[in-house]
Amino acid sequence: MKEHAKRNTGSVILHTIRQSKVLSTGILLTVAGAVIVALLPPLVLEWIVDRLSIGETFAFLAAVLYFGLIALAGLLESGREILLTVFGQRITRSLRRALDDKLSRLTADDLSKLEPGVISSRFIGDVDTVENLFTSGIISMAADLCKVVSIFVIIGGKNPGLAVLLLLLVPVIFGFTRFVQKRSLKAQLENRKAVAKVTNHVPETIKNIRTIHTLEKEAYMEGRYGDYIGESYAAIEKTNFFDSVYSPVILILNAVVTAVVMVLSASGIPVVTTFFGMSVGTAVAVISYISQVFGPLESIGMEIQTIQSAVAGIHRIDEFLALPERWNTDEMLRLKEHVPCVELKNVCFGYVPEHEILHEMSLQVQTGEHLTLAGRTGAGKSTLFKLLLGQYQPWSGQVLIYGQEASLIPDSEKRRLFGYVEQTFHAVPGTVADQIRLFDESISLEMVEEAARIAGLHETITKLHEGYQTSYAVELFSQGQRQLLSIARAIAARPKILLLDEITANLDADTEQTVLAALQNASINRTVLSISHRLYEQTGGKIINII
Amino acid sequence: MKKTFDPGRVSSYFQAEWRSLFVVTVSGLLYNLGLLAGPLFEGRLAQCLLDIFGGSKTFTDMVMLAAFYIVTIAGVQLARYIKRFYVRRFANNTNLRMKQALYHNLVHMPRTELEKESVGSMMTRAVSDVEACAEGMRKFTTEVFDTGVALFGYVGMLFYYDWHLAFLCLIFPPFAYGIAEKMKKVVQRTGAVYKESASRLSSATMDQVTNAVTYRVYGCEGERKKAYEEALRDYESAAVRAQVWVGALPPLYHVISMVSVMFIISLGSQNVRSHIWDIGIFTAYLSCYAKLSVKSSKAAKLFNSVQKAEVSWKRIKPLIQSVLGENIVDYIPCQTLRVEKLGVDGVFFDLSFSAEPGQIIGITGPVACGKSMLGKAFLQEREYSGRILFGERELVARGVIGYLGHDPELFSDTVENNVLLGNDDDVWNYLKAVDMDAEVAAMPDGIHTKVGTGGLLLSGGQQQRLALARTLAHRKPVLVLDDPFSALDRETERKVFVNLKKCAKDSIVLLISHRLYLFPELDGVIWMENGCAKAADHHAWMEHSTLYRELYELQVKGGQPE
Repeated sequence: MKEHAKRNTGSVILHTIRQSKVLSTGILLTVAGAVIVALLPPLVLEWIVDRLSIGETFAFLAAVLYFGLIALAGLLESGREILLTVFGQRITRSLRRALDDKLSRLTADDLSKLEPGVISSRFIGDVDTVENLFTSGIISMAADLCKVVSIFVIIGGKNPGLAVLLLLLVPVIFGFTRFVQKRSLKAQLENRKAVAKVTNHVPETIKNIRTIHTLEKEAYMEGRYGDYIGESYAAIEKTNFFDSVYSPVILILNAVVTAVVMVLSASGIPVVTTFFGMSVGTAVAVISYISQVFGPLESIGMEIQTIQSAVAGIHRIDEFLALPERWNTDEMLRLKEHVPCVELKNVCFGYVPEHEILHEMSLQVQTGEHLTLAGRTGAGKSTLFKLLLGQYQPWSGQVLIYGQEASLIPDSEKRRLFGYVEQTFHAVPGTVADQIRLFDESISLEMVEEAARIAGLHETITKLHEGYQTSYAVELFSQGQRQLLSIARAIAARPKILLLDEITANLDADTEQTVLAALQNASINRTVLSISHRLYEQTGGKIINII
Repeated sequence: MKKTFDPGRVSSYFQAEWRSLFVVTVSGLLYNLGLLAGPLFEGRLAQCLLDIFGGSKTFTDMVMLAAFYIVTIAGVQLARYIKRFYVRRFANNTNLRMKQALYHNLVHMPRTELEKESVGSMMTRAVSDVEACAEGMRKFTTEVFDTGVALFGYVGMLFYYDWHLAFLCLIFPPFAYGIAEKMKKVVQRTGAVYKESASRLSSATMDQVTNAVTYRVYGCEGERKKAYEEALRDYESAAVRAQVWVGALPPLYHVISMVSVMFIISLGSQNVRSHIWDIGIFTAYLSCYAKLSVKSSKAAKLFNSVQKAEVSWKRIKPLIQSVLGENIVDYIPCQTLRVEKLGVDGVFFDLSFSAEPGQIIGITGPVACGKSMLGKAFLQEREYSGRILFGERELVARGVIGYLGHDPELFSDTVENNVLLGNDDDVWNYLKAVDMDAEVAAMPDGIHTKVGTGGLLLSGGQQQRLALARTLAHRKPVLVLDDPFSALDRETERKVFVNLKKCAKDSIVLLISHRLYLFPELDGVIWMENGCAKAADHHAWMEHSTLYRELYELQVKGGQPE
């Protein structure tokens, strides 16, 4: 395996930006273009109105120019949206790829400790927040800031008094905006929590319907449901208030500013009119600019929120990307012959330093031998399997498979070497054949069928409506048959060693018989290590007690 | 009002909320007609400034006009606030009503009905459909005013000032609208493709994550990475295709309907020069049209939301329509249970026995003999032949049978709520009875500790005992317990059994189990073998059934049945 450079969200994003230079430049141009062009129409209007107010005519060209600028702004806006979408998706994809790379390099310890739900929320939810950061976060915030600043510059030129007035108002408006947005977000989060309860309540009711019916708890359950909806209702009422109050307040403020400016410019007092005086055309343009300042201010508030949640998302992604990685295996490694199939030499091991599970353990298994591991729960039977599979390295001593360190055997060799059957069957997406083959293209359909035959499942599978090509679904097989599928999966690549981990623990006695019979078949000509009393009772072999 | 409420009709939700809707109507009309005030006043303000410069008006006129402007806008915005708030309240109430009706039906639906694959998931989906439906009704109500009334007002004003020009202007918005309508199909199609791709990606992610260990020990992480890369590529292109339409089109629609401003400016300026209009009207006309073009681009939204809501409503309607009533059963407790020639097709036949309150009857047999099926017959979940009589009457499961099966069916709630389910009682009595009081006392929040989804945070044995405590807290005349002790060690099992005998002395307990060492103490034992089910007692079976004796002796000696 190659050395991988340390990566984090920032480096992934930078890398992507560097790889898409044309796109990045395009975004810069359209964003800047849209901001500038959107500022121009009121200026044209100002000129038109001024000409009109002194009774002069103007060319039809001015009308065309006015529309042309609006159209150009629209086109630029549209182009910006397209480029941002493409760009955001590109970032999303490279982040997900980086996460997936990381997943395959995690240590076995972290892999088993991390909850699937938590990891997948890194992949899905957190990456989405980063995508939003680009599609509706920093870039649009920069655009909005530019818009506000340039409107200020224009207004400053036309009506300096207004610019000062607005400058004083902006912090107030912005503070109000953030206040409303924060409150609204809080209420939304409350609502989301309540909604999760509401949503969870329905499948739970369906699952527990027998208890509800036999204990006559329909009314109680309806009451609980009512409580949960009530919580969500209250939270929504709160958001409703903030939703409804914000924009009326802003618009009233807008009107007040407009009115004040008009009054002051009409005051006729020389000191005031030096700051506020303007022509009629300018007045029309200024009215339109005033209303344009408030929009971006509101957007900036939302963008801050997006950026905040993206920062939290990036932090979580970086944490994941910074997890320790597993050691490298030895691609050049060759297995030896004429040595014990499995050998443990003075192995000491535990998952955490304070708690040793295996102490000075030594063991030899010759090719073709069948060995059963016995001992109470927690004695380290499954742990031993994990060491053999090379998932962990021993603290001291050696774990050897055909004379080589188990942890150095490359992944590509594993399937030819080990068939590992766990307590439960882990289905993968795809056909029934895929369950057995596990997407390994070197396993032919014949090998798949052979494995199914040995597991005693061939008949059942051929009876399915599309045979081996039937899409897998849980309902297709009983619990016992799923365990048979695990066996078929384990032996499909004709491995040398079978590792069987309490495979009949969850089965009833009838099914157990079928599974044991299949295992007896599968064990012929293989080295077998198992943790199963019943198998031992049926097939014999050596038994080793782990204390 | 309340009495005639029919959850199966959309109109009844509107009727139930007539107060909110009345407020919405009044404030909506005021607000949307008041919207015209903005452009009109702004035009007047500009005109007034011109008149002041021309000397025909004074500063006081401007102050009056400005004050009037602020007051009007404030009034209009107040109406808007009221309208928005009440529309949302209407939607919120509707959401609440629909969910309640839906849940009422769900909780009263027979289990056999819910077990049908589709019904369960349909019910789950119905909840999100309700959201969509209420949202659709909200948008419909909002848009009727915001789009309908406002458009009407704007159009009216355009016609009032210059109807020729108005005709000319109004050619373009329908254009934009027509194209939007055409493009909707594309938007919907790419949107659907995107959704599918997203769900493929998220299941690919789940696959990568949940099966990571499996793939690693089988050395096939490489193959899966390729598949994941493929899912990523597919998602990227689907997402771009869908979002590009959504993001890029609206600005273009706006451009199309803004074509008319060229006419307004050139023809309007002629009006000004020929003194038909003043500057105020000119600017008002222009900004009025700009507002109209923004509004009309939203008209498509109205139809979209109604369409979406209709689809959701169609799915909910059959589930919400027929209100299932409470099926109240009255019965006399403490009666004899008599079973006559009971049989379940293909499983067992001809079982007859009777039991008195206070008795515990064991039911056992070799694996897969159909013991659980016998329990299901009592629950009326399986068709059976013969008769089950409680007292003089044919048994009805509801109210008479208490059942506890393999699945403890716990709720994601506190320990206390799981046992009492809302009853006013002392939870400790029942926790003591199942020998769990010390464990619960040691939990961080005691009886208020949350047990997680399905009791996830408890051990298997704790789950079983908690479920048993719940069964004891809701005592029924006949208790069917299917293997309730399977996860308990022998000592705990004995303690719980002794308490069970004490607690359930007024009930008849049918104890289905494959562990036999308590069976000598039971009042009777039903042994099922090869479809033949017979009632006797422990000693009789020890004498007459070799298999029973073997099983019993193996367990008593071996100590470890599993």
